[in-house]
Order: sequence, then C-alpha cells, then structure tokens
Amino acid sequence: MHEILQILIPVAHAAESGAADVANDSVTALLGIDWKLFIAQLFNFVIVLFVLWRWVFKPLTSKLEQRSAKIEKSIKEAQEIQEKLKEVEQYKKTEIEKIRGEANEIILKAQKTAESNKEQIISEAKKSAEKVLEQSKKEMQSEKLKLLTEVREEAASLVVLATEKILREKLDPKKDAELIKESLKGLK
Amino acid sequence: MLALPPLAAEPIFNIGSFSVTNTYINSTLTVVLFVIVGFFVKRSIKEVPKGIQNFFESIIELLLGYFDQVTGDRKKSLKFFPLIGSLFLFILVSNWLGILPGVGSIGIHKVIHGELEFIPIFRPANTDLNLTLAMAITGVILSHIIGIFTIGFFKYFNKFIKLADVWHAFKSKKVMTVFTAFVEVGVGFLEIISEVAKMLSLSLRLFGNIFAGEVLLTVLAGIIAYVVPLPFLALELLVGLIQATVFSLLVLTYITVATMPVPEHGGHKKEAH
Repeated sequence: MHEILQILIPVAHAAESGAADVANDSVTALLGIDWKLFIAQLFNFVIVLFVLWRWVFKPLTSKLEQRSAKIEKSIKEAQEIQEKLKEVEQYKKTEIEKIRGEANEIILKAQKTAESNKEQIISEAKKSAEKVLEQSKKEMQSEKLKLLTEVREEAASLVVLATEKILREKLDPKKDAELIKESLKGLK
Repeated sequence: MLALPPLAAEPIFNIGSFSVTNTYINSTLTVVLFVIVGFFVKRSIKEVPKGIQNFFESIIELLLGYFDQVTGDRKKSLKFFPLIGSLFLFILVSNWLGILPGVGSIGIHKVIHGELEFIPIFRPANTDLNLTLAMAITGVILSHIIGIFTIGFFKYFNKFIKLADVWHAFKSKKVMTVFTAFVEVGVGFLEIISEVAKMLSLSLRLFGNIFAGEVLLTVLAGIIAYVVPLPFLALELLVGLIQATVFSLLVLTYITVATMPVPEHGGHKKEAH
C-alpha cells in the first residue's frame, strides 16, 4: 500500500505541474498543437488515403463489382438455359406425343385396310374355290356319263359276240340255255 | 520516478526548423507500412483472389456491410468508402502499432527544462492531437465538399445561413412565418458552431482515449510490470478497434447527413396554399 502511494504521489505532482503549465502556456501549446506538425500529420494521412484509395480500395472494389456482376450474369444465363431446356423438353414431349398419335392412326388405318383386304381376298378365294369345285363336279358328271355310254356300248358288243358264239355252237337246247344264262351273268 | 507521458508529443530530433516528434515517427511508420502493403496488394490483384487480396476483400466486404447500415445504400457506401475505409484502417493500425512492445519503452535521455528526462522514441500516433485534428478536419471539410457537390451550393449554404428561408417568410407576409424564419436563422448559426464542435469532439475523443490508454499502461507498468497489464493490453486492443470504428462511422454519418436532400420550407408552404 505504502509503495503504491509512493508511486502515485509523483503522479499527482506531475499532474499538478501540468496544471501549472496550463496557467503559463496556452491550451494549444499544452496539447502540442503546432501547425508544422499538423501539416506533416495531415500529409501522412493524405498519403495513406491516396495509397489505400488508388492501390487497394479502387481496384479491389471494382474487382468485387465485376465479379459479382459476372456471377449474376452467369446465374441469369444458367437460368435462361434451364428455361430453354425446359421449353425444348416440352416441345420434344408434345412432338413425340403428336408423332405417336400419327403413328397410331397410320397403324389403325393399315389394320383397317388389311382387314378389308383380307375379307375381300377370302371371299374371292371362296368364290374361286366354289367355281373350281363346281367345274370339277360338272366334269366328273360328264365323265361318268361318257363312261356309262362306253360301258353300255361295250356290253352291247359283248352281248353280240356272246350270241354269235352261242349261235355257232348250238349243240343242245340244254347247253344253249345254260350258255345264255352264263353270258347274261357275265353282262351283269 | 514514474514518467507520465505529457499531453504534447515530445520532439526527438530536428530536420531544419521542423521538429520530428515521437508520434510523428509512429505515424510515418504506419504510412510506410501502408505503402508497402498497398504496393503488394496492387501487384497481387487478380480475377481469382488469393492470399492478401482475399484478406483485403473480406475486410472491404465487412466494412461495406457496416457502412450500408449507416448510408442505407450500397452505391453511397462505395462512393464514400475510400475516405472512411482509409480513416478506419489508418486509425486502427496506428492504434494497434501503439500497443506493440517497445512503443513507449524504447527511448533516449534528453535534458529538458534543466532536467534529464526519458523520452520514448515511439509513441502511439493518435496520442498526438495534431494527427487526430488533421483527420477530423479532413473528414468534416470533405463532408461539406461532398455535400455541396451532391445537393448544390445554394441549397447547402442555406442549411447554415438561412437567407432563402427568411426571403420566403417575408414573401408569405405572415408574422408567425417570419418569426419562425428568424428562429431558423438562429438554428443555422448553431449548426455552424456544431460543425466546429464536430471537429473538436472527433479529434479529442480519439486523442483522449488512446492517450488515456497509454497513461494507464504506463502507470500499471510502473506499479506491477508483470502479468497485471495484460488484460489492460487486451482492453487497449479493443479500445483501438472501437475508436477507429467510432471515428470512421461518425465521419460517414456526417457525410451521409450532408448529402441528404434538404427539406424545402418555401416550396412546402407553397404547396400548402
């Protein structure tokens, strides 16, 4: 405590002498205001101001502005691109839908034509088949008739031959009767 | 014997009739530091920031954020930034350089008033009223110049010497209006006084705070040299930052107020009629 007092007493003395100085000198002299120093310090500050302004703040702030402008621009561009992409996608979708519809239509049409063609072809084929069948039936009929007439003719000639044979042999009436019977059997 | 620093900066040596004081040495060292750093920043500026450029860009962004709160407009902040930013950085760096060990303790012995006294070679730059006053006057005068350029000479002039108001009042031929106009003229004179007060308060606040810190540290170091001054050193760091902020933001406020459009009394009354 005593030591601290010993230290503080001179402090008080110093303050007192300072106060005495105020009485002797003007306030500006006490505060050390001196126009030469003032100008010198002002000059120092102006140098700092100039250096910071020209070398640091101006280029850096312009760089910052440029950069933020650039970023803004690229973000905007990216958004635009995205929008365009969306549009293209939409366009693509509608186009595909359209094409799909058209394709469906074409397929339907093709199916319809195919169906109608099929029916036509089938009916034609049926008709022609019937025609062929009929013709073949007719031919068969005529063939049959022809055959029958031929057979009849043959039979007739055979009967003539048989009668000739019988007439040549003419042995007994018994045999005659038998022969006639036999030849008639062969006719049947 | 405890040597308290006197209010005035002490001269160390003379160059011709110019006496170089210890505060001037400090402020010049700060200037040299800024020139060197500024040179490197200027050389290192690139599109993609790196190192020192990044550091300064972040400082600028931070300060601009604070300035926007005062000006309310990024454009204005950018416009005033060179002055206010320089004030802030210069005060901050010179304050913090003042806390470095060696400042106030490295010195010479010199005979003054017949007594051998210890005079430190380095003393915090802002413990010199010349520097703080120089910055305050620069700030306030620049605020007026910027104000004149922004809102026009006559409108700005009318803020202080309200001749136009008196003229409009007489034209309106109303006793009350004339009376208010004369009161306004008185307010105008007060404004002029307040402009001077601005310079004084700005410079004395900075000077007083930093000087008090220096005295406090000297006294504490005189009583107990170890450990005890540490929290006070930390406080001085804070004080240095706060004072730099206060000084620069106050100047920014002055400039912002000076560039605000003046409400026109005459025009307003005309609209009312």
